[in-house]
Amino acid sequence: MSESTIISTQNLNLWYNEKHALQSVSMRIPQNKVTALIGPSGCGKSTLLRCFNRLNDLIDHVKITGEITFDNENIHAPGTDVVYLRKKVGMVFQKPNPFPKSIYENIAYGPRVHGVRDKGELDRIVEQSLRHAAIWDEVKDRLNDSALGLSGGQQQRLCIARTLAVEPEVILMDEPCSALDPIATAKIENLIEMLKEEYTVIIVTHNMQQAARVSDYTGFMYLGKLIECGRTSDIFEHPKEELTENYITGRFG
Amino acid sequence: MESSKNAESGSCASPRTARISVIKEQAIKTVFFCTAFLAVIVVTFILLFLLRDGYPIFQQVGIIPFLLGSSWAPTAVEPLFGIFPLIVGTLLVTFGAMVFAVPLSIGCAIYISELASPRIKSILKPAIELLAGIPSVVYGFFGLIVLTNFIRVTFDLPTGETWLAASVLLGIMALPTIISVSEDAISAVPREYKEGSLAIGATRWQTISRVIVPAALSGIAAAIILGIGRAVGETMAVMMVAGNSAIIPDPIWNILSPLRTLTGTLGIEMGEVAVGSEHYSALFGVAVVLLVITLIINLSAVAILRYLHEGRTSRPGRKPVIPSYLRESFIRFLEIGILALFIVFLLAATPWYLAALILLTFGAWYFGRHHLSQHQIEIIASGFIITATVIVLAILVIILQDIVINGLPALSWEFLTEPPKDLGRSGGIYPAIIGTLTLVAGAIALALPLGVGAAIYLVEYTREGRVTRIIRTGVDLLNGTPSIVFGLFGFAFIVLFLNTGVSMLAGQITLALMVLPTVIRTTEESLKSISPSLREGSLALGATKWQTISRVVLPPAVPGIVTGAILSIGRAAGETAPIMFTAVVFSSRFLPDSVFDPVMALPYHLFILATNVPGSSANKYGTALVLLLMVVGFYSIAIYVRSHFQNKARG
Repeated sequence: MSESTIISTQNLNLWYNEKHALQSVSMRIPQNKVTALIGPSGCGKSTLLRCFNRLNDLIDHVKITGEITFDNENIHAPGTDVVYLRKKVGMVFQKPNPFPKSIYENIAYGPRVHGVRDKGELDRIVEQSLRHAAIWDEVKDRLNDSALGLSGGQQQRLCIARTLAVEPEVILMDEPCSALDPIATAKIENLIEMLKEEYTVIIVTHNMQQAARVSDYTGFMYLGKLIECGRTSDIFEHPKEELTENYITGRFG
Repeated sequence: MESSKNAESGSCASPRTARISVIKEQAIKTVFFCTAFLAVIVVTFILLFLLRDGYPIFQQVGIIPFLLGSSWAPTAVEPLFGIFPLIVGTLLVTFGAMVFAVPLSIGCAIYISELASPRIKSILKPAIELLAGIPSVVYGFFGLIVLTNFIRVTFDLPTGETWLAASVLLGIMALPTIISVSEDAISAVPREYKEGSLAIGATRWQTISRVIVPAALSGIAAAIILGIGRAVGETMAVMMVAGNSAIIPDPIWNILSPLRTLTGTLGIEMGEVAVGSEHYSALFGVAVVLLVITLIINLSAVAILRYLHEGRTSRPGRKPVIPSYLRESFIRFLEIGILALFIVFLLAATPWYLAALILLTFGAWYFGRHHLSQHQIEIIASGFIITATVIVLAILVIILQDIVINGLPALSWEFLTEPPKDLGRSGGIYPAIIGTLTLVAGAIALALPLGVGAAIYLVEYTREGRVTRIIRTGVDLLNGTPSIVFGLFGFAFIVLFLNTGVSMLAGQITLALMVLPTVIRTTEESLKSISPSLREGSLALGATKWQTISRVVLPPAVPGIVTGAILSIGRAAGETAPIMFTAVVFSSRFLPDSVFDPVMALPYHLFILATNVPGSSANKYGTALVLLLMVVGFYSIAIYVRSHFQNKARG
């Protein structure tokens, strides 16, 4: 990989209680590219993703060893500001999770907690984020309606807009389309294509076609290990490992 | 037996057996329906009897003069029956209790659900349940001995029996209700909200204050209303510490004035009134007013919880009730109003230097908060939350240690096995222990079959509709009825109308009615937690409804039902108000021969010792300790049963 690296892991291990969920994962995430993590259910791809913004901290009895760096800094170093890390590394979840507030308040929440109080500035951020997430035209007339009234696909784009509103560098997406229909999925995939000009995207998916369509790089995981990682075209056309080939040709998983 | 039945249905039963089984199923369903409907009948009866006995006073005095009359002097030469001071007293005491309890409870609930580690949580939750388990007469006893004394010395008063004492004590008693219901509401906020907020880079406190608490707000509101209901309906504790002068404090915010509540009036005067007199009727009028107030409070809590539940499950897209631009100014308006009230209260009720200090702190916070970093705010907020939790725990520890340390010396084999001597100053409490146990055993023997039957009917036999709504409302009303009202009803209906006399049986029935809603609720919960696929699996094999219920649904639900039963036993054992006029005598050297004899009971014995028998200090504490241990023992068994089976179910 010739591009500059934004996130990298060195020999990362993670245990849930006794379960060894990630085993010596070492990988590098190139900047301003889309990296896909694929693999069968339970292989640890979502767990790995949640390591990048330390969301695993919320779960009791998790133990992590090894190193994760973001912008060349160890995110587990003692003085790390987790809040700042999560601002810079945003996340979109599997199930759309808008807050039970209005559409406007959902987007404005992020900037507000980071200290933006000026109404005009907030309005600008809300509009810009919604435009960026390609949902502005659908919601501009009902910004004060509850976000829970939107369709699943709209909710997911709203959640992406909410993430964009705090100006992250990296966006983590945890199977963002698994709860959506094909049309909504297509919209999200187009959006990802646009986002990579400004952001680094890491997407977990169990849909191999989706990985092939949207990503520049792909990592294949199996039983907690990163089996193979490289350019998407290489992984799908000339996989080095037999396991990878078996998985992408549909022999298991 | 089982195999023969299966064989029958397996070989396609003959039309005759099929008809018999249809009749049997129908009969079973009818029985369950009757048990369920009992709750409605009881509520109707309570209302009818209170109204019947209270009617004369409304007729003679008139409703408006009765409600708004400023003087309550029922035994004067020219008796006056105006309950306005009593209503005001009830409202003031409740308001004070909430000022004390709400901030503590919400802080503690936030700590338990959001900040505490699993280990601390596993200590805190039983501690809160323990606080809920302490009988109200023990609270009253503690308040009378320790709290009023503290207030008397601190404020240099002739007596510490004041509005302040009653409010603090009621606040303590409302703590567990508010904490556990709001903790449930906060924990029920979907995990996704929390993760979504943290993933944006909000701090923990921002997430709590702007996402989690707002999402749980209706649940917290319902918790507060339930706490209010508890405070309004409480009799024994408030009557022991409030001073009981039927006056309106002068000036109205004088928290060091004694006052008297509706419940207290019933508790004090019901025992001495001549049946059928004007005064008797007036007391039933008071009970009607009390019942109406608590019904309104409790129904609104139930309505809020139900609305919340429906809002979450079936109508995701509804618009906010108040549009957001109006809401902000509305909230600002509300904040200013509360602040103004608070300032008036502070200036009036506390010494000026304290008021100034508190106001300065608030001012500094309000204007300084924008200059603080998020990190500092987080530290301050957690500081408040942890302080609230520590205060709650400290209250529990103070009460327990006072009773345990002073009670232990009195405990001895003789104390537990001998009848009282010299009006309870010496001797033991054996008849009271036996009396309480038999009262409780009878109550649960009556309430358990009825309650379980009602719950089975509600969960298994009906769809939600008008009938279930009526029954459920009946159960809710019964649940919210103050215990003293049960006492009055038991006296009017069972003791007088059914002519059982003051007897064990009357007490058992009264207690059974009182715990019925608890049994129904907990059984319903445990039946609902059984997965529908189990029922479908059984029905798909050709089992009848009753076979499915009795062999597939009930067995896994038994731990839940047992838990509910034990909790009810604990509650019944600690109650004083319902048995005060129906079942107990203060002193009896002998055990009752039959259920038609009156008995002694621990809570009542403690009440009389504490209020009417000077110089019984050791035995007072001994009785309080025994009662506490008995009730807490029942609760611990219930908690153990529950967690034991929960762990088992988890594997």
